[in-house]
Amino acid sequence: MNDEAKSNCPVGTGDEPKATGSTVPMWLFALMLTLLFLGGVYFDHHSGWFSAQVYSPYVSAEQLELYQPKSGAAAAAAQGKKVYETVCGICHGVDGMGKPAMAPPLAGSEWAIAGGFHRLAQIPLRGLNGPFQVEGKDWNLNMAPMGAALSDADLAAVLTYIRTSWGNKASAVSADDVKAIRAEAAGHPAITGAQLKDMPE
Amino acid sequence: MKNGFSVFLAALVALGLSWCGFVLGSVKQLGTAKQESILNSSDTYPLQPTGNATLGLQVYRANGCAACHTEQVRQDGVVCDVVLTAAGKNPTVVSNLVSTLKLTGLTKDEADAASDKITDAGGKVEIQINATGVDIPRWGVRRSVAADYLYDNPVQLGSLRAGPDLANVGARFPDLNWQLVHLYAPQTVATNSAMPPFRFLFEVSKIGEAPSPDALKFPQGFAVPSGCEVVPLPEAKQLAAYLLSLKADAPLYEAPFTPVMTKP
Amino acid sequence: MKPTETTDSSTSEIDASCRVPLLALFGGAALWLVVGLALSLAAIMTFHKPDLFADCPFLTYGRAQAAANDLLLYGFCIPAGLGVMLWIFARLSQAQLVLPLVPAVAANLWHLGVLIGTVAVLIGDSTGFAWLEFPRGSSVLLFAAFLLIAVSAVATFGARQKSELYPSHWFLLAALFWFPWIYSTANLFLTTHHPVRGVAQAAIDYWFANNLVFVWLALVGLGTAFYFLPKHAGRPLQSHYLALFAFWTLILFGTWCGIPQGAPLPAWMPAASAVAASLLIVPLIVIAVIACKTVCGANVSCKGGPFCYIKFGTAAFVLSALMLIAESCPRFSRVTEFTWFGPAQVQWQILGFFAIVMSGAIYEILPGVMGFALPFPKFVRVQHWLFMVGIVLWAGSLAVGGLEQGMRLDDPQGLFADSTHVALVFLRAGSTGLLFILLGSLLLAANIFAMTFRWKLALFKRMIAYIKSPLETGEVKS
Repeated sequence: MNDEAKSNCPVGTGDEPKATGSTVPMWLFALMLTLLFLGGVYFDHHSGWFSAQVYSPYVSAEQLELYQPKSGAAAAAAQGKKVYETVCGICHGVDGMGKPAMAPPLAGSEWAIAGGFHRLAQIPLRGLNGPFQVEGKDWNLNMAPMGAALSDADLAAVLTYIRTSWGNKASAVSADDVKAIRAEAAGHPAITGAQLKDMPE
Repeated sequence: MKNGFSVFLAALVALGLSWCGFVLGSVKQLGTAKQESILNSSDTYPLQPTGNATLGLQVYRANGCAACHTEQVRQDGVVCDVVLTAAGKNPTVVSNLVSTLKLTGLTKDEADAASDKITDAGGKVEIQINATGVDIPRWGVRRSVAADYLYDNPVQLGSLRAGPDLANVGARFPDLNWQLVHLYAPQTVATNSAMPPFRFLFEVSKIGEAPSPDALKFPQGFAVPSGCEVVPLPEAKQLAAYLLSLKADAPLYEAPFTPVMTKP
Repeated sequence: MKPTETTDSSTSEIDASCRVPLLALFGGAALWLVVGLALSLAAIMTFHKPDLFADCPFLTYGRAQAAANDLLLYGFCIPAGLGVMLWIFARLSQAQLVLPLVPAVAANLWHLGVLIGTVAVLIGDSTGFAWLEFPRGSSVLLFAAFLLIAVSAVATFGARQKSELYPSHWFLLAALFWFPWIYSTANLFLTTHHPVRGVAQAAIDYWFANNLVFVWLALVGLGTAFYFLPKHAGRPLQSHYLALFAFWTLILFGTWCGIPQGAPLPAWMPAASAVAASLLIVPLIVIAVIACKTVCGANVSCKGGPFCYIKFGTAAFVLSALMLIAESCPRFSRVTEFTWFGPAQVQWQILGFFAIVMSGAIYEILPGVMGFALPFPKFVRVQHWLFMVGIVLWAGSLAVGGLEQGMRLDDPQGLFADSTHVALVFLRAGSTGLLFILLGSLLLAANIFAMTFRWKLALFKRMIAYIKSPLETGEVKS
C-alpha cells in the first residue's frame, strides 16, 4: 500500500487507539445520585404509582376518586335511565312504546304525563291489574309492584325519566315526594283498572 | 468490562429492564382492556365502529395522515364549579351566599366547602367537574385515554400538529359532505389551510342522466368543470366515515367531567 | 504455529479482507442516503405548494415523508453503521474479517429489504407505526440480514488476540445485541396478524423508536467516535473509566426515554420517561468531557477532513441529546410537543450526528480498504461544509419554527392557524438546508461509486487478462 493511499489525516494507520486509566471524578457520581433522588421524588408525586387508571393531570388514585362527578341533575337523569332500562324496559320497551300483551306504552301515555304524579307513582308501588285504556287502546294485564324494591331516589329518578323522555314533557319527581307517597300507599293492595280512573292525579 | 459476555449481560440487563417496563407493562395494563361504562350511565364506551369506519382507518394509515395530524387531546388540570340547582327555603340567604362566594375554578376541597355552606342554608347545588388545558377548548372536552383507542388497529396517535387534532373531529364537523369537500379541496372550506388536496381519492366524471347522489356539493365560488361532478371513490367515503366516527366526548372514570346535558 | 509467524495480519491485509462487504454496505447506504434525502425534499415541497402531488398518491406527504425517514434510517444509517463496525472490530482484533462473504451477501439482502419496504410504503402498504413502516416481508429480510452480519462481526470480535476490550467494543457489541431485540419485539407485538390491542401499540412504538433512533444510533456513533477521535488527535482516549461510566449510564437511562409527556397512557409512563431523560444529563456530560479532553489541546488541525466530521458529529450528538432532554421536561414539553421541534431533534440525531460521523468514518476507512486514494479528495472538504451548513439551516430552522409554533399553540387565546402559518415560514426556509445536505450526499455517493467502479474495472481487466493469457509452454503436448 503506497503512502498516497492514506487520506488527508495525520495518523498512522497501524496504531490502534488506547485509553488512559484516569478515574471518574466524584462529582459525577454525586450529580447522578442527586438526579436519581430528585427523579424519585418527581415519580412519587406524578406517577400515580403504576395505576392503570391514573392519567395526568391526576397524580394518584385517591385524587382521581375524589374528582368523580357524583350528584346533580345530569347524574340523576343518567341514573333514571339506567334503572328504567334494567327494571321497566323489559316490558315497557327501552323506547317507551310498550309491547303488545306485555305492557302498555309510556310515551305519550296520559297517565304518565298528567300534571300530578301522585297517581302515577302508586302504580309501581302497589301494582296495577287492568282493564283500562291507554291512548285509546284497551289493556288488560297484571303488573307486579316493580317499584316497591327500589330506593326513593331511584324510583324518583325513574319516574322523572318516564315523564321527561320520548317527547313526554311533565314535571320531575323528587325522592321526598316518593317517600311520602310510599308511606301513603303502604299496606294497600294492587290498583284495579276501575280504581285508576277515580284516583286523583 | 473484561469480555464480550459481560457486555452482553450489561446490554441484557439495561434493555431487559425497559422491555419489562414499557413493553410487558403496557401489554399487561392496556393490552387486555375492554369496553368500560360511561360515568353515571349504563352505556359502554367505545362503541364498535362501523365497517366503513374500520376500512377508513386503513385509508388513513395508508396515506400517512398521522404525519400531520394527531388524535390525542391533552389536559393540564381539572377544576370544579359549584352550580345552584334549587334555591330552597331561604332564597335570600342562598342568593347572598352565591354572590359572595367564589364558585368557579375551584379545587375539589374548596368546592365541597362552598357547597356545604349553601346546602346548610337550604339550597341545592351541583358540583361540576371541568377539564382545563390549551387543548380542551380547541379539540375536545377531556383528555384522551386508553379506552378511546380500543378498537383502533393500528393506533394512529400522530406526533405533529401540522394540521388540527382529529380526536373529536366527528363531533366538531359532523357533516359528511363537509369532510369530503375538505379532502378534495381543503382551501375551500378551511381558509389558509396548508393541507394538500387529495384529489386522487375522487373522480371527476360527466354528469349522467341525473347527478349522482354521492356527488360533492361545493361552497360558493368553487368551480367544477361544467357538466362534470366530483364523485368520491370508495376510499374517500371510508375515510370520511372514519373521520366522522372520531368522537371522544364520553365521561369516563379515568377522565371524568360533567357533561353538558343536551335535550334528546 | 510459531509465535513469530503472522497470525497478526498486517494492516493492509485486514483492510483488504473488509473490501467486499464494506463496498456492498457502503454503496447501498450512499445510494439510499441520496434517494432518502431527495424523497424528503419532495415531501417538503408539499409545504411550498400543497397542490403539487394532489393527483399523485405515491408522493403524497404522508407516504413520502414516512418512506424518506425509513430510507435514511434503515437504508443509510444501519448499513453504514454495520460496515464501520465490521472494520473497527477487524482493526481492534488485529485480525482479518471472519467470513467476509456472509456480510457481503447479507448487505444485498438488506438493501433488497429496504427497496421492497420503500416501494410498499409509497404504494400505501405501510404498517402505520412511526419508524416501523416497512411491512412484514421487508422486515423479515432486514432482520435476517442483520443477524448474518452480526455473526461475522461477533466472530471477528472473537478472533482478537488481546483479551482486553477497548471502549468502542462495548458500545458496538451492545448495539449488535440491541437491534435484534427491539426490532423483533416491535414487529411481533405490532405488525403480525394478532397485534397487541389498543393504545399499548403506541407505547411499544414509542419504546422502539427511542431505542432505535436515539440509543442504537448513539451506541454505534459514539463507538465510532471513540475509535477515531483518539486516532486523529494522536492521544489516547480520556479515559477508560469515564467511557465505562458513559456506557452504563447511557444504556440504563437512555432506554427509558421516549414516551411523550401528553400521551394517552397511564401517568407512570410519561413520568418514567421524564425522570430517565433528566438522568441522561449524566452520560451527556461525561461524553462531552471525554470528547473535549481527548481532542482539545491536541495540536492537530483537521483541514476539512474526516477528523472535522467526527468532531462536528460528536458535538451534534450532545445538542440532539440536550433537545431530547428538553422535550421530556414537563414544563418545556407543553411548548414543544406536537411541533416541529421533535422532528428537528430527530434530524439532528440522524443527519447532524450519525450521518456526519459515518461520512467521516467512511472517508477514513475506504482508501485503506480499497488500496487506493479517494477519486475526488476535494469533495471531502466541500461535503463537510455542505453538511454542516445544511444541517444547521435545516434542523435549526425546524427547531426554531417548532418553538414559535409551540408558543402560539400554548397560548389559549392563540389561533391554531397562526401556529401553522409561522411554522411554514421556517419550514420553507429550512428546505434550502435540506438541499445542501442532498448535494453533500451526492458527493459522498460519487466518491464511493467511483471507487467501486474503479475496483470492479480492475477486477474485470484482471479477469480478461487471465482468460486471454497464453498457456504455459510446458502444457502444450505435441
